[in-house]
Amino acid sequence: MAERGRISPTQATLLMVSTVLPTAILFVPPVVVRRARQDAWMSLALAVIVGLLVARLVIGLSLRFPRKTLFQYSEEILGRAGGKAVGLLYIWWFLHTGALVITDFAALPCIALMPETPFIVFFILGIAVSGYAVRGGLEVLSRYNELVTPVSLGSIALIFALLTKEMRIERLLPVFDTGAISILKGSATPAGWLGEIVLLSMVAPYLSNEAEVARVAYVSVLAVGACVTAATVGTLLVFGPDLTGAWVFPVFSAVRSVVIANFLERLESVAVSVWVFLGLAKIGVFYYAAVLGSAQWLGLKDYRCLVAPTGVILLGMALLCPSTAELFEFAQGAFPVYALTVFEVGIPLLLSCVARIRGKGATGGA
Amino acid sequence: MGRRLGRRTKGQEDDAVARGFADGPLSRDLDANLRELKAIFDRCSDVVFREFVFAQCNGTRLALVYTDGLADKAQVSDQIMRALALEVPVAAGGRRIGKGRALEFIKKRGLCMHQIAETDRLQEVVRAVLSGDTVLLVDGHATAIVNVARSPETRRVADSEVEPTVRGPREAFVETLRVNTSLIRRKIKSPSLKIETLRLGRVTGTEVAVVYIEGIANDKLVPEVKDRLGRIQVDGILETGYIEELIEDNPWTFFPTVNITEKPDRVAAMLLEGRAAVIVDGSPFVMTMPNLLVEYVHSTEDYYERFLFVSAVRVVRFLSLVASLTLPAAYIAAVSFHHELLPTTLLLSIAAQREAVPYPVLVEVLIMEVLFEILREAGLRLPRPLGQAISIVGALVIGEAAIRAGLVAASTVIVVAVTGIGSFVLGYRLSIAFRLLRFILTLLSAALGLFGLVAGMAVVIIHLCTLRSFGVPYLSPIVPTTVVDLKDVVFRAPWWAMFTRPRLIARRDRTRQAPDLEPGPPGARSRGRR
Repeated sequence: MAERGRISPTQATLLMVSTVLPTAILFVPPVVVRRARQDAWMSLALAVIVGLLVARLVIGLSLRFPRKTLFQYSEEILGRAGGKAVGLLYIWWFLHTGALVITDFAALPCIALMPETPFIVFFILGIAVSGYAVRGGLEVLSRYNELVTPVSLGSIALIFALLTKEMRIERLLPVFDTGAISILKGSATPAGWLGEIVLLSMVAPYLSNEAEVARVAYVSVLAVGACVTAATVGTLLVFGPDLTGAWVFPVFSAVRSVVIANFLERLESVAVSVWVFLGLAKIGVFYYAAVLGSAQWLGLKDYRCLVAPTGVILLGMALLCPSTAELFEFAQGAFPVYALTVFEVGIPLLLSCVARIRGKGATGGA
Repeated sequence: MGRRLGRRTKGQEDDAVARGFADGPLSRDLDANLRELKAIFDRCSDVVFREFVFAQCNGTRLALVYTDGLADKAQVSDQIMRALALEVPVAAGGRRIGKGRALEFIKKRGLCMHQIAETDRLQEVVRAVLSGDTVLLVDGHATAIVNVARSPETRRVADSEVEPTVRGPREAFVETLRVNTSLIRRKIKSPSLKIETLRLGRVTGTEVAVVYIEGIANDKLVPEVKDRLGRIQVDGILETGYIEELIEDNPWTFFPTVNITEKPDRVAAMLLEGRAAVIVDGSPFVMTMPNLLVEYVHSTEDYYERFLFVSAVRVVRFLSLVASLTLPAAYIAAVSFHHELLPTTLLLSIAAQREAVPYPVLVEVLIMEVLFEILREAGLRLPRPLGQAISIVGALVIGEAAIRAGLVAASTVIVVAVTGIGSFVLGYRLSIAFRLLRFILTLLSAALGLFGLVAGMAVVIIHLCTLRSFGVPYLSPIVPTTVVDLKDVVFRAPWWAMFTRPRLIARRDRTRQAPDLEPGPPGARSRGRR
């Protein structure tokens, strides 16, 4: 068994929150608002429903194949060759998304804090730090995340609470102004993000009590949905749809506009630092999934030897990513289609259908 | 397996070399035994051989062997020699007994000692003599009587110097193992308090005691502690530090994962929570394990003072924990990278102060930090009366003069001083770890600003997450979060609400006290009684 650690349901929930939220809270609001304008919250609600459906698929598979990761049960369902092919696809997806996360992660500190520092510095540090956590194993990664996530989210919530005096409820009006098509279009990107809950299939086998997997999945999707919606609506309330859609990081700009008594102001550096902690956790989850997946794909007993090579690959792939602007373009257009249809819904749906037809795994699971 | 066995025999050979003699049984012949012992104790001027005659049984010859200075001379001469040579024959009224029964008679009627033991091994005799016991050899018997009559001379139990408190017991451990165990026993008068002793160090033969409360300590903990101690094969153990470095879970870390204290009340509290303690003869410090990070933020007094006040003080301690780790780094980041972090007026005033300073802020901070470390080290090493002088020179002369001379800015001095003082709030050993990490974070933040600082802190947090002490995660109960145990991290619950022991430490008997202990006025109180 490649992973010996066990994590509690709370740790797993927080880990899943960190799998989605850190980049979502930064990149999703402008994209959604650009499409759905002040009705962004409806798009987000739709996206949460999609997220819950993906979660349902993952839960079904995990309960059907207890103590097995995606890589292990896909071989059981599709046979050796098919399973390996699916595994290879997922390794690619974890690496690719991981590299995207790393570029996202570098974008904010680079743009907001240190515009003259080259991207590669942030890449290397981000990969090295989260690689250290991955090397420690799932338990270490979850503990780091368990410590950092509540504190970071709490601070971000606090900063938003300081913004309430800038908020105007009229900025959400008129409701349903943009039409159903725009709202649907707007929900694609957040749905792609929320579908990343599919990584739970790599973590679920290591829950101390695997029966809790359903609660973990649903609670984390709802929590992420609530946080992203709160950030989006909060930003909309402060800036209105035009400005929110125009800025690169509107949530960050909202934080920047906090001024309380000439004392609490310019909190953006604090916000960025807090966000970096979260970003490291998110890189860690994808990094871990890629490393553990590769180890299981190759049939290794220990995944630690893969941490350094995977880090180098991630760095290389991150360096291939073009500018932040193109990243946004990708996040809006290709990413949801690519991630959602193939990896978050397509393959899991295929797996659970085939498992049902072939009668593999424990009955009553899916 | 074979290699392991091989190593063991090698160890035994080394043992014989270290002992300086081969073990064997005692002889029935007193002269042979004495010859052997005298050969072993050749040129050991402190070992005394005293031969005399036990008049009552046909002039059986007896010999006492003890170490001068370790054995209690008054007891040796009064309770053993005087008794056997004079008083017993008189009391027995001149009745004679045969030589064959001499040993039995001496043991049962002759000796007025509170604790005796028997042995027939030469090695045991040697060990007893060197431990301060007095060995009585009887002619015609291959068995020696070991009289435990150790000299009571030891340092007086005095006030704790390293961990002073305002409220609570003041006594501290001393260098003698027995005194230390008695200090703990005085606090916990229960037969469940177990004190198991073993000897470590092939040459020094240091006595080491493992202390725990049966039924409260985790079942797996005590065997694990004994197992780790049993693995130790070194020539000498002079302080707890030797053992600490040999039994840690993770030796490659700045952080201490075995706690050290000199206060018996602290050890008693640790034992009551389910921990084990290790006492080393010759050290006034007692190790307790498993050890958690939060222990360094807590003090014994926290449990004696009012809980609301304590909770507030702990907030201050956690703040100084963060400050002592990150303040210089954050200062550098703010001054050299992120001016927006500071209010404009403060920024201007710092800029004005730094106008005359020739160095970049990193160099400034490093100069002050190194100066501070030098002062601290000097204060530690100097004879005590001079320590005062050093602090005056350090605080007034260097601090004030450095600012006047334009060497450093006043704000830098403030930052470094606050950091230094903040680190004293924490347990001494944690502050040592933070001292080193602070330098690393300072350099990172000078290179990469806030991002460097955050990345460095993330590494520190991840490292802390990897640490375990005797299997218990170092950061628990914060992470992995044990909600009930958060009652004693920052907030300290009042004693009537401290219903359970820490979950990860005491796994068996977790209930600490009766429920519904919350006190109240006479009318309301009865509701709690069942």
